[in-house]
Amino acid sequence: MEGDQETEVYTLVARKPSFDLPTACPNCLPAYIYLKLAQLPFELAFNSTFPDSDELPYFESGTYVAYNNEDGGVIEKLKKDGIVNLDSQLQSLPEYLSLKALIVSWLEEALTYEIWVGTEGISTTKIYYSDLPWVISKVLFYKQTYLAKNRLGITKENAEQREKQIYKRASEAYEALSTRLGEQKFLFEDRPSSLDAFLLSHILFIIQALPVTSVLRCKLLEHSNLVRYAEKLKSEFLEASSSSPSPPLHSFPSSFPRKSSKPKSKPKVEKTEEEKKFKKRARFFLAAQFLAVVIYVSVMGGGSSEELEYEDEDD
Amino acid sequence: MANPTENLDANPPIRKPEAEEEVEELNGDEEEEDYEGEDDDTGSKSQTREGGSSVDRIKAESLFRRMRAAPVPVRVHDVIVSGNEKTKDHIIEAEVDAVREATTLQELLEAARVANSNLRALDIFDSVNITLDSGPPELPGTTNVVIEVVESKSPLTGQIGAYTRAEARSSSVEASLKYKNIFGYGDIWDGSIVYGCDNSAEVGLGMYLPRFRGLSTPFTSRLFLSTQDWLKFSSYKERSLGLSLGLLSSKYHELVYTIAWRNLIDPSQAASASIRRQLGHSLLSALKYTFKFDQRNSNLRPTNGYAFISTSQIGGLAPDSRSLRFLKQEIDLRYAVPFGFYNAALNFGVSGGVAFPWGSRYQNRPSSVPERFFLGGNSSPVCSLGGPSALWGFKTRGVGPSEPKRKGDSERDFVGGDAAMTAFADLSFDLPVRWLKERGIHGHVFACAGNMAKLSDIQNFTAPKFLETFRTSVGAGIVLPTSLFRMELNYCHILKKQEHDQARSGVFVTFSASS
Repeated sequence: MEGDQETEVYTLVARKPSFDLPTACPNCLPAYIYLKLAQLPFELAFNSTFPDSDELPYFESGTYVAYNNEDGGVIEKLKKDGIVNLDSQLQSLPEYLSLKALIVSWLEEALTYEIWVGTEGISTTKIYYSDLPWVISKVLFYKQTYLAKNRLGITKENAEQREKQIYKRASEAYEALSTRLGEQKFLFEDRPSSLDAFLLSHILFIIQALPVTSVLRCKLLEHSNLVRYAEKLKSEFLEASSSSPSPPLHSFPSSFPRKSSKPKSKPKVEKTEEEKKFKKRARFFLAAQFLAVVIYVSVMGGGSSEELEYEDEDD
Repeated sequence: MANPTENLDANPPIRKPEAEEEVEELNGDEEEEDYEGEDDDTGSKSQTREGGSSVDRIKAESLFRRMRAAPVPVRVHDVIVSGNEKTKDHIIEAEVDAVREATTLQELLEAARVANSNLRALDIFDSVNITLDSGPPELPGTTNVVIEVVESKSPLTGQIGAYTRAEARSSSVEASLKYKNIFGYGDIWDGSIVYGCDNSAEVGLGMYLPRFRGLSTPFTSRLFLSTQDWLKFSSYKERSLGLSLGLLSSKYHELVYTIAWRNLIDPSQAASASIRRQLGHSLLSALKYTFKFDQRNSNLRPTNGYAFISTSQIGGLAPDSRSLRFLKQEIDLRYAVPFGFYNAALNFGVSGGVAFPWGSRYQNRPSSVPERFFLGGNSSPVCSLGGPSALWGFKTRGVGPSEPKRKGDSERDFVGGDAAMTAFADLSFDLPVRWLKERGIHGHVFACAGNMAKLSDIQNFTAPKFLETFRTSVGAGIVLPTSLFRMELNYCHILKKQEHDQARSGVFVTFSASS
């Protein structure tokens, strides 16, 4: 089975990119990052007409398809079917399970809450509805908001209490993860795991796709080592293929034009040449000024020194 | 939705006794004044006068002789409408415009007959009587037209029938509840449930207006929620919620605008790659124009005449550029040649169609699957008018480009073609058994061919290759026409098919409703 899959092209079908993320959907991004961490070459294709589907993202290779609503998710299915497994020796560790529970339940809940309720769905237009006509996108937005609230168990009576609980749990999770991570590169020694994919996706999404006013975003930014961890992994794995380093994450606005590294060195060279030219011209100008004053003084100065003194006294 | 005019009789009964009586009244006005008084006394209301008197008969005969010899001039003075409590006068009067303009008696009688059938076709009256009365005595040579209608006592009617809907391209059974003439404009409201033979179901609410703001063509609108299940053939299910408006509907032309929210889903999660890419929501905003010229003598068993149908559809008529954009054109030509013996006739038919997307980067976009052409099925090409769809011997959606389904499923998905063409020849003849002949059961021998192409392969497309890959089949069978549909029992032999086509030589049964 793996033999004939190697000759086929691997494709991940996800939702469209936005906010400078390769795919803006928080459910699709972990799968993308997982494949990047595993350094498996694959193509990215987009489906932008099905925002309320739980099949996305799906991974296909020839006639083989791994949907997200089967066997616990795309990543689990890829592990199970032997395509790519980053957790082969980690799954038996007790820490692995507890971290996984933390990331997959508390953090995911917090993210779902923040997208649909906390920020009132500001980011959802770009993530889900950019290619759908207005009428359809409005109806689907209400439907998905309703389903999200149901999934989180939010009702009118317990809305405030549930919000506090979600944010508290998120803070505690960030604290625990930050302590566990320290200054390590990955969560588990030197090897990437699926939990790194989930965590990295979570952090990148919150920082880049959510608005600056988001409560969850502020809570996350308090843990600078998590932000550094995300930045490092992003530049190493996500931007390795494209030659474009992006500016630091915490100062990242929602959409930012990318400059590639080569053109960046060029402006520096040009600047120094310009500076030289400018300095040269400035010197010329000063010299000319000085000369003019000297000539004026020497030609006019002898005859009109009294007048000058008189004028000075007046001043 | 069934158009009320479909139930129309070609020739409604002409009221002969009244015609004689009308003639006598007019005669009274025009000829000797001796009889005028008598005519006035007998009154314009008399409808039951028996032509017993020989004088009347002589008068009638002389008038008929005059009518046969030359046009008898007459002028319509007034149109009087009675019996309508709910229905607005102008709705009824609008159907009798031709009557007002008649200048001779012959024209008047013909116009009155047409007006009678038009009013019956509105489907809101239990009975319609048109009488020509003598005009006011001071104006000779004039007549009054009196229209008496009896409105339906029970405005609510239920109906079950079998129809062919052009969009579905297949026969369907429809059960509907109609509420007639609520507002007095001849409006018919109906709620209906339709089950189609192609695994489709639809629930809809419709409204029909015979006249809309002065336009002489009827206006129909229909709010529908429909599902079509193609899981077995193409691994997707189509759900639509929308509104369709029939803007123009006359003998030759039809213009329909549809706006619908369409959703393609795959609950089986076994779809092939190109179907998977198409799953999702889309907005369909399309205008469809049909030109139909059908001079054949019958829909179910044409033995003489020809027909031409052209259907053009343009999608994406919305200010939003994200709605589904496509162009679709279908053409259908039919010709029937009668032979003298055994009521035999040779039917030829050719149909073709093409569909493709438009808009930005249209060359790289695949066409939308529900808009593509699919050949095959259990309906007969002789009856299915309006684009390439039916082929004897091939299963539903069993022809054309196909792709393997998801791993683990050995079936294939038929994804349809962007261009399709079919042709058939059918020789029908009566069977020598008299019992069968009386019931209209006849035999036929046929041959058909069809092919499809994808526009994405257009670089590799060559006419010889297209002709080479034509699927063909021949066969013979018996046709049993029933009141609802035409049933055929055929033996088909597949002469040529391509790899993966779902076709077999054997006995098939096809059902077609008249289109």
